Amino acid sequence: MSTETVNPRPHHRLTRNRREFVRDAFCGFGSLALASMLHDERLRAGEHAGTAGLHPANGPAKAVIFLFMAGGPSHIETFDPKPLLDRLHGQRRPREFGEAKYQFVEKNAKLLGTRRTFKRYGAEGIEVSDLFPNVGTCIDDIAVLRSCHGDMVVHSAAQYELFSGRITPGFPSMGSWIVYGLGSESRSLPSYVVMPDPDGALEAGQPMYANGFLPARFQPTMLRAGDTPIRNLALPRGVTLAERRRTLELIDRLNRANPAPEDDDLAARMEAYDLAFRLQTEAPQVFDLSRESPETLELYGVGVEPTNDYGRRCLLARRLVEHGVRFVCVVSGGGPGTLQWDAHKDIEENHVRMAAQTDRPIAGLLRDLKRRGLLDETLVLWGGEFGRSPEAQGGRGRDHHNLGFTMWMAGGGVRGGQTVGSTDAIGLRAVERPYHLRDIHTTILHQLGLDQTELTYPHLGRDERLTLVEGKVIREIVG
Amino acid sequence: MRCLLASAAGLFGVLAVSLSLGEGRGDPRAHWVYRAPVRADLPSCAGESGSAIDALVRARLLDAGLAPAAPATRLELIRRVTFDLTGLPPTLDEIDAFLADERPDAFERVVDRLLASPRYGERRAQHWLDVVRFAETEGFEYDRVIPGLWRYRDWVIRALNDDMPFDRFAVMQIAGDELGSGEDTRDDSRDASAENGHLVAAGFHRLGPVRRNAGNQEVASSRNEVLTERTDAIGTVFLGLTIGCARCHDHKFDAISQRDYYRLQAYVAATREHDVMLASDEARAAWKARQDAVTAEIEKIKKALDDATGEAETALRRRLAAAEKRLPRPLPTVATIRDEDRTPIHVLERGDWERKGDAVGARVPAVLLASEDTPELPADVERPRTHLARWIADPANPLTARVIANRVWQHHLGHGLVGTPNDFGVNGDLPSHPELLDRLALELIRHGWRLKSLHRAIVVSDVYRQSVRAASPAVAALARERDPDNRLLWRFNRRRLHAEELRDAMLAVAGVLDTRMFGKSVIVPVEDELVELLYKPSQWEVTPARREHLRRSIYLFAKRNLRLPFMEVFDLPDQQTSCARRESSTHAPQALELLNGRLSNELAAAFARRLEREAGEDDGERVRLAYRLATGRPPTAQELALGVAFLEQGSMKELALAIFNLNAFLHVD
Repeated sequence: MSTETVNPRPHHRLTRNRREFVRDAFCGFGSLALASMLHDERLRAGEHAGTAGLHPANGPAKAVIFLFMAGGPSHIETFDPKPLLDRLHGQRRPREFGEAKYQFVEKNAKLLGTRRTFKRYGAEGIEVSDLFPNVGTCIDDIAVLRSCHGDMVVHSAAQYELFSGRITPGFPSMGSWIVYGLGSESRSLPSYVVMPDPDGALEAGQPMYANGFLPARFQPTMLRAGDTPIRNLALPRGVTLAERRRTLELIDRLNRANPAPEDDDLAARMEAYDLAFRLQTEAPQVFDLSRESPETLELYGVGVEPTNDYGRRCLLARRLVEHGVRFVCVVSGGGPGTLQWDAHKDIEENHVRMAAQTDRPIAGLLRDLKRRGLLDETLVLWGGEFGRSPEAQGGRGRDHHNLGFTMWMAGGGVRGGQTVGSTDAIGLRAVERPYHLRDIHTTILHQLGLDQTELTYPHLGRDERLTLVEGKVIREIVG
Repeated sequence: MRCLLASAAGLFGVLAVSLSLGEGRGDPRAHWVYRAPVRADLPSCAGESGSAIDALVRARLLDAGLAPAAPATRLELIRRVTFDLTGLPPTLDEIDAFLADERPDAFERVVDRLLASPRYGERRAQHWLDVVRFAETEGFEYDRVIPGLWRYRDWVIRALNDDMPFDRFAVMQIAGDELGSGEDTRDDSRDASAENGHLVAAGFHRLGPVRRNAGNQEVASSRNEVLTERTDAIGTVFLGLTIGCARCHDHKFDAISQRDYYRLQAYVAATREHDVMLASDEARAAWKARQDAVTAEIEKIKKALDDATGEAETALRRRLAAAEKRLPRPLPTVATIRDEDRTPIHVLERGDWERKGDAVGARVPAVLLASEDTPELPADVERPRTHLARWIADPANPLTARVIANRVWQHHLGHGLVGTPNDFGVNGDLPSHPELLDRLALELIRHGWRLKSLHRAIVVSDVYRQSVRAASPAVAALARERDPDNRLLWRFNRRRLHAEELRDAMLAVAGVLDTRMFGKSVIVPVEDELVELLYKPSQWEVTPARREHLRRSIYLFAKRNLRLPFMEVFDLPDQQTSCARRESSTHAPQALELLNGRLSNELAAAFARRLEREAGEDDGERVRLAYRLATGRPPTAQELALGVAFLEQGSMKELALAIFNLNAFLHVD
């Protein structure tokens, strides 16, 4: 049996010795959870083992905030101006731009120019449309990735790919992978949090955010609107905190009365009760936005419409990463397509409305993170599961479009104030330095100090990883 | 002689065996699993039990300088075996009867009783449903319910309770629809073949997630996704081979080539979804009339929606939701498949459906054939899957029996003899006890593929009956160094209850479990916030009869996009891909679920009422009964004192809740 050789196939599993070593060391028999739990302590002590499940957090970024623009915002209306498209408005796509497959738009569709105007911002004069005047003022911290592409042109599959790198459900989301890799820094909060849009669900549903085959410890915590943002955090009706404390004491004493000292899992379970109690008593303070100054609330647009909701959630995202949460997803868009960025009918009406809800909160978040010194260690990612078609759908709308679109990153060691890559002259296809969604994943892992080939988990005979086949780090924006 | 080899080589027992099995890595044919199982002689140092399992496990243990643990206590044993075989705790009567039974075969009698219990099939079916990724909805955006797919679950329960031979069990799932009711029925008149069993079983091919979407259809692409799901499932479930890896290109060292992969796919190339209506002609006509009327109305509203905005749109959406609610309930249906319209199968470069290579026909992988030159089946062969099914169920197939024997072993001992139960290929783990795995496989075949015989042999062994505590502190210390994962079985593996066992046990302990079997799945209430996270909240229509909510977890509706949070925190598999072995993680949300969740608090209240009803006024009696019901043993003096002291101030319900949170309840020793 060969030993530490590296397999020639990049996405093939590691050799047996290596793999067994990794698994036996950290994943054997339910001890993984314990390992991760202990990991918190080790991180604090500056200790690490440097292998899957127990990575040192040695990248510039410590946390990620994903501003997920669900439904697919148009690159053409936001960060990727296409003057030629305006000139070709109403015509068929010239043949030299090649073919594209859309979910709805037929082959004979006409190109649709934009009504947006673009303005140059920042030291480099980067163009941002009038949908995002506030974000524009932060452009020196933002790296605009104009050449993103993915494999799928329908929501559900594209959303799975955006989150898990696979076009089918059942694979862990990037949030779960990151928590698996880095553990949690917080002793009283969940480490992976999703804040859905209160308008409703998305096409890919819950499996999009989920832990897939990773243990349940790495599942997301969904934050709900209202007084009880986390499930089961509130005591059942009629039970007082004092009463519950006595019950917890009883559980602890009874467990200790019958110890099984050789079993780590039992010890871990007892510790889970301590954590649960802290979660119950400390987490509500983190959710309490009344502790913020009026100036900060205003920065995010909290208390005024149409920014109140997204502003509150962005502000909460900052409070969460401040308290050691690793991955926060703040979703804009939910429910029927018209309440997402899914502008099939009318790109103007939809995008003006959706941008108005998010522009100020996003800019507020970036500024707030920066002035608190948190931006350097918090990677902010903006984007949807795809962009929108240069062709018109039904006259005023745009269809889904996965061949070329824009996402952006800020903070977490990313060099802002630049654009990377480009689409062709009508925004159809990423042509210069194209970056696949898996390259986005790879870059995020890289900034967190995680190596895509090391962060693996055995499933169905393979050591699976977030990036499937090897992704590229977007070198232009890092280090 | 082997016992004398407790030498340096013996210390690394696992590794030594691995080396011999891994020989010839360059030639996939030499990989152990492609060679026929061998019936090895038993080592001379076998224990007194005479059981091959004990002899083979003990030999390896002694080789490594370790020793087996002492037998578990009777109280531990009956709780362990009752959970393992039925997924439920033993009743007080069952415990008392076992304690009082002084016959030498008292434990065997318990085992036989459990194997004959209808609860056996309900528990064992869950393991199978995990492997086949059973869910009743299609997943993805629409997450549509597949009408009647619950019959597949019921079929599995019946088949296992009837001890249907495993070869037959496999054939019916792979090719039941092709066989028809008149074919190949052998002696199964009394089993799950009844009531369209052959069609229901073939619903196996309907279990994977299916992507559907509106708009332009990439028919060939979608078809490719479906065929990929169906092919990979057969490989994973029955052959224990992760053949999906070969879909994109050949892998060095791997026995399954890319061409082999597509040849396997060719067996399912003609499979198409098929829903068989069980209703009468009149019922069908009435259903169709209503369906057509409401559908027409829906189309009209949708059309109007195209131009509507603002309040008009909101009103239309409300009308749309109301109309959708008026659609008639689906008629009784069997979800199955049939052969029609064969898709030509090509080797696809990088697995990409647009990059077609050579056309291929159906053939089993070369590594399992005597000759590479074996021809493919002709494209127009009748009943192609029957050929595949018969080959899989052939006693000469070196994989099938080993794979299922390993799954059964894992369920009882906590770890498979092969640690990667869905991957026996060259990239999978090597068996820790190859002779034992071979013997279990051969014995299974010799007993007519009857799984109950295999379960029985395993759970009556000394290996299964040993304690969770090591023989001595010295053995424990040595073992932690030499075999920390307990692959050599120097003690029994303690385990946490699975999600379903936990819920079922809480229901049973509270005295409210409804043990009615079979039928349409039950939808239990969950928080509104979760339903609102569904793309179509109307898909979560709670079963009106509250009593139904107290049924065993296996009968709860399995929806891919809304998994019960209680089950989810306790590592319910995601039901999207095959799960060969459940995770058992430990984290704070589990504690919050059991402390503050609605289910545990409601059941704690029911449990408290039961204690008050059955144990009388005395707090000591109540604590004693609570412990016996929940942990299978009486409390120690200290536990009793703590419980009684708590009740001086605390409520019975909080005590009951605390019991649900105890390690002694959540774990099986």
